[in-house]
Amino acid sequence: MDMLKRCLRSGRVMVGLGIVLVILFCALFAPYLAPADPNDQDLLHILLPPAWMADGDSAFPLGTDSLGRDELSRLIYGARTAMTVAIVASFGAMAIGSILAHVAGYFGGAIDWIIGRVVDVWMSFPPVIFSLILMVGLGTGLDKVILAIVLVDWTRFCRVLRSEVLVVKQRDYVAAARLIGFSHWRTVTREVLPATLPLLITLVSLEMGIAVVVEAILSFVGLGVGADLPAWGQMIADARQHIYDSASGLFFPILAIFLTVTGFNLLGDGLRRALDVRLISAREQ
Amino acid sequence: MLATLLQLLARRLVASIPILLLVCALLFSILRVLPVDPAAMSMPPTATIAEIDAKRRDMGLDQPLPQQFLIWLRDAVHGQFGRSIQLRRDAGALVADTLPATVELAVMAMVIATVLGLGGGLLLFHLRGSKLEIVADIASTVLLSIPEFLWALFLLFLFGVVLHLLPFAGRLPPDFVRPNVTGFLLLDTLLVGRPDMFWAAVKHMILPAFALGLAFSPAIMRVLRSSLLDVYQEDFIAQLRLRGLSEGRILIGHALKNAILPTLTLMGVQFGFLFSGTLLVEVIYSYPGMGNPMVDAVRNADLPIIQAVGLTYCIVVLLITIAVDCLYLVLNPKLRRH
Amino acid sequence: MSDILSVRDLGVSATIGGASVPVIHGLSFDLAPGKILGLVGESGAGKSMVGRALAQLLPPGFAIASGACLFEGRDLVAMAPERRRALLGREIAFIPQSPQTALDPLRTIGQQFDEQLRHAGAGARSERRERVLAMLAAVHLPEPAELVDKYPHQLSGGMCQRVLIAMAFSSNPKLVVADEPTTALDVTIQVRILRLIAEMQQRLQTALIFITHDLRLASRICDEIIVMYAGSAVEIGPGRAVFSARAHPYTRCLELADPATAHGGRALFLLPEQMPGLRALARMAGCHFAPRCPNVTDDCRGTRPMLTPVGTGHSAACLRLSATSAITAAEVKGAAAEDGAHKPLLRVEGLSKRYVTAGALFGRSEVTAVRNVDFSIAENEFVALVGESGSGKSTIARLLVGLEAPSSGRILVDGRDLTGSSRETHALRIATMQMVFQDPQSALNPRRRIASIVTQAMEAGSRHVSREERVARTRELLVEVGMSPELATRYPPQLSGGQRQRVNIARALGARARLLVADEIVSGLDVSVQAQLLNLLFRLRAELGFAMLFISHDLSVVRYLCGRVLTMYRGEIVEQGKTAEVFANPQHPYTRALLAAVPPADPAVRWAALDSA
Repeated sequence: MDMLKRCLRSGRVMVGLGIVLVILFCALFAPYLAPADPNDQDLLHILLPPAWMADGDSAFPLGTDSLGRDELSRLIYGARTAMTVAIVASFGAMAIGSILAHVAGYFGGAIDWIIGRVVDVWMSFPPVIFSLILMVGLGTGLDKVILAIVLVDWTRFCRVLRSEVLVVKQRDYVAAARLIGFSHWRTVTREVLPATLPLLITLVSLEMGIAVVVEAILSFVGLGVGADLPAWGQMIADARQHIYDSASGLFFPILAIFLTVTGFNLLGDGLRRALDVRLISAREQ
Repeated sequence: MLATLLQLLARRLVASIPILLLVCALLFSILRVLPVDPAAMSMPPTATIAEIDAKRRDMGLDQPLPQQFLIWLRDAVHGQFGRSIQLRRDAGALVADTLPATVELAVMAMVIATVLGLGGGLLLFHLRGSKLEIVADIASTVLLSIPEFLWALFLLFLFGVVLHLLPFAGRLPPDFVRPNVTGFLLLDTLLVGRPDMFWAAVKHMILPAFALGLAFSPAIMRVLRSSLLDVYQEDFIAQLRLRGLSEGRILIGHALKNAILPTLTLMGVQFGFLFSGTLLVEVIYSYPGMGNPMVDAVRNADLPIIQAVGLTYCIVVLLITIAVDCLYLVLNPKLRRH
Repeated sequence: MSDILSVRDLGVSATIGGASVPVIHGLSFDLAPGKILGLVGESGAGKSMVGRALAQLLPPGFAIASGACLFEGRDLVAMAPERRRALLGREIAFIPQSPQTALDPLRTIGQQFDEQLRHAGAGARSERRERVLAMLAAVHLPEPAELVDKYPHQLSGGMCQRVLIAMAFSSNPKLVVADEPTTALDVTIQVRILRLIAEMQQRLQTALIFITHDLRLASRICDEIIVMYAGSAVEIGPGRAVFSARAHPYTRCLELADPATAHGGRALFLLPEQMPGLRALARMAGCHFAPRCPNVTDDCRGTRPMLTPVGTGHSAACLRLSATSAITAAEVKGAAAEDGAHKPLLRVEGLSKRYVTAGALFGRSEVTAVRNVDFSIAENEFVALVGESGSGKSTIARLLVGLEAPSSGRILVDGRDLTGSSRETHALRIATMQMVFQDPQSALNPRRRIASIVTQAMEAGSRHVSREERVARTRELLVEVGMSPELATRYPPQLSGGQRQRVNIARALGARARLLVADEIVSGLDVSVQAQLLNLLFRLRAELGFAMLFISHDLSVVRYLCGRVLTMYRGEIVEQGKTAEVFANPQHPYTRALLAAVPPADPAVRWAALDSA
């Protein structure tokens, strides 16, 4: 598996993967890492700055929000929300998008035309607006956020992968497989899919970053995972209301989102470079 | 060429109509599958069931879905988008009021994104092979990771709150009275001969415009750089060198034009996202564009506003795509019919 | 008169993995004004690199390691880059290999030509325009005034090449370097472009370096020829002399491996393996040709031979020059190209294919790629399908194997109709016919191992095949096509072009095809590799028995390999018959044009197409 070796040698992949794994760790072990229950309100200690500053309290290492909830705990549990959405939504979008992309690109003709037109119409809807409107229709909640992201973003997978499927399909070895007697299913799974897999993996990684941002936006606006689940976007919205009292409340969730998305982007970019056959053959010449 | 251009324009505009219809249908159906009842939401909590039912009939929500859609469509074509429940205003009039502000912001942001994107792309390309290349590359990947809403918050935080350098709410300082000639504030201030107001307006727009511009320029930078790299692999560049042309002449006279084409395609897509990104940025900066009414409407399930504003965003993004396609046709001779 | 160009001991090396490997070594030659020098060699010999070295525009990682290139007395290597750049496009001009990609697709012909003239300092705008029109007329392009406003994609390959030739000669250069200027063009166009280059050269008395892989072509127009092998000159001499009295074993082996010289039943000479790559070269101490040379002795491996004279102005780098003429090829081919009567296997009746293309805006246009084609192929018969690009020959291949459906007509195998897409016809087709694709890069899945590719047919069946069976069959097939079974675990990108083509053939045989459709499978291969594959095909037919539809544009290969030939022109078969008869007595004008476009095998015979106006 020299592809694996190439990935592991890439600096970008390692750094990106490192960041992602740290966030994932926080998400998985949130109950053990967080000092307090994120929904515990302590109205006597609202809008406290981080512990190392003048009015800080060591019980709340990064301060508290407007309802007295511990910022650090909310940040760690927010990672759980973000990662859950990121992973589930991107795999969902990938599943739908890639199946339709392969069907459209491989079979061509009427099927390709129909799927192409559906994607065109779907993508005419700007994603931010579309996801907001979907949330109006679906209501708030973690599962609704995931569903909204899947419904909006599958088209991106579909469009990009379809171009790649078309390129691969032109290669003579796909035709040769059919001539040898492979069924359509076998040809797609044994000849086409291995070639599109690298791009697919890259897109999933990038999609995870996008999903984190969308979740944050929806939570910011108040149409996200709901009031009982901690979310970075909601923390930002809260801090913005009280920006002069607690600037740190704004800083940490922004940093969290930035790091997570950077991690996924570096990982995706690194994977793309490591797995792109054209780049590889150019380098090896 | 003009003929081909007009034909393309006509064809795309005509093709947009079914797309828009389908988008409207999509919009419409999503909004009718609500977990909340708009009629109930628009009445005070003390309303009786009978009153809510009456309101629902009044809003036309009791009729079958396709019928509701056709009624809405018929009204929309006449410019009637319904009345906002919460704001008690005509939805169409609201859009007319707020659209110019959003357009101005978007245009300013697009200019910034173009300048930064193309300039940055050239810089990245220039650095190829040097030690700074990796640094620049990582920097652009990192910048790519910052969405417009984080930029907006970050710039507000840094320049607005911490440094107190620039204003970050509204369009004009509170004591100015807004002139209203065309609806486009920047234009209006110049038309009425108030350069001081013009500069004040510009200052208010700097942070939000830069937030958008900074968010969308990294993608442009990277595509320009990789397009230039691709073009330089082409045979004709080597031939130009063999014919003795200087590197500068090759870059400006040949490579750039070839590399601009794929970059332009991406810019079209990015500008579409940019325009819809104004929504959040306007919310963060309390900028009086379409963003704030939309977010409020979404929170309150105010259907007429959601429909009218949502549709407006879609139409503008579609127009941007068509404009970019036309520009592409102008620049690429292979697409023209001879 | 002093020489235009004097190259002294030129050395170019490449940096690979930290080490410096010589790509060109010890090359020296002189070029007098008005003379044509041919640089002949197979791919990888370094001939194109010489041209690039002159311009100092070597690919990254390559650099001039030693020697001097004196252009009119001034050393190009030591010159300041600005001065050298000033020479390019003015006194030294280049004619490229692939004409259509050599022009900026976004600028008109006129704009690019004008830019060139401006660089060459050709005066005011109106003067430049005059010159552009005059040059375009000089290269026999129709309606120059309209042509200047066209874009490269609107011109054919031949027309683009004429424009490039016009641009090269427009500044009245002292030296023109033509790097395989005709290779990318159709055969009938090639001879016209050659004629044009020769004409321009004669008129302006420009010194010309003509780089090519075709020694026969070079002998027709070059005053002097240098044969290159693995980066050094192995033979130098007057064009005719090098061609007819080949002194170096390599040149001699090339002659014997060339199907054009294999008359009667003579087999092609088989040069084993291929030209050493750069890494292998670095480790070689003695003669580079030693590993493949039939006359090799231990001395050869230790000492690098110097150029030794064999005639007036004719020298070769070999330690055993007298032994060269002793090299011969085996007498009998193994299987004669002509076969006795055999049962008919495939019959094609009235086959047609029409494509409907959506017009740019409104309206659709129809293109007929194949029109009313009839032919048949008997068992074990090799039939050639000859035509240029756009003739429809690839479409016929695709129609036969089922990648496209015919618009009308029938395809019959053993009398059974294959048209229609039922399961039985699909199964019958797969069992009978297989395609060997042209481009081995695209034809082999780079993610599959060789073993998995050659036995791919076994994956298709519903019967589960055990691992042992597959391994055994892999070994069997690889040995069959003359490859070492150790290569079974490699991946396609690790193989050479010739080896990949063998794997291609092995896969088709693995599916037990009775008819192979071979689409240009030897074009682009070196003469020696081509000879290996042609011999392989004969041997396989004798052992396994199969028929072949051999699509090609190379008439000498066709003459050697195939008993019958079909000529295609614009979708129709214009002539068919036994190869020997058709080539000796072509009836259709197109067949005649094709035959005339190839230089005659006998150097004494005049090549009419080149000389006529």
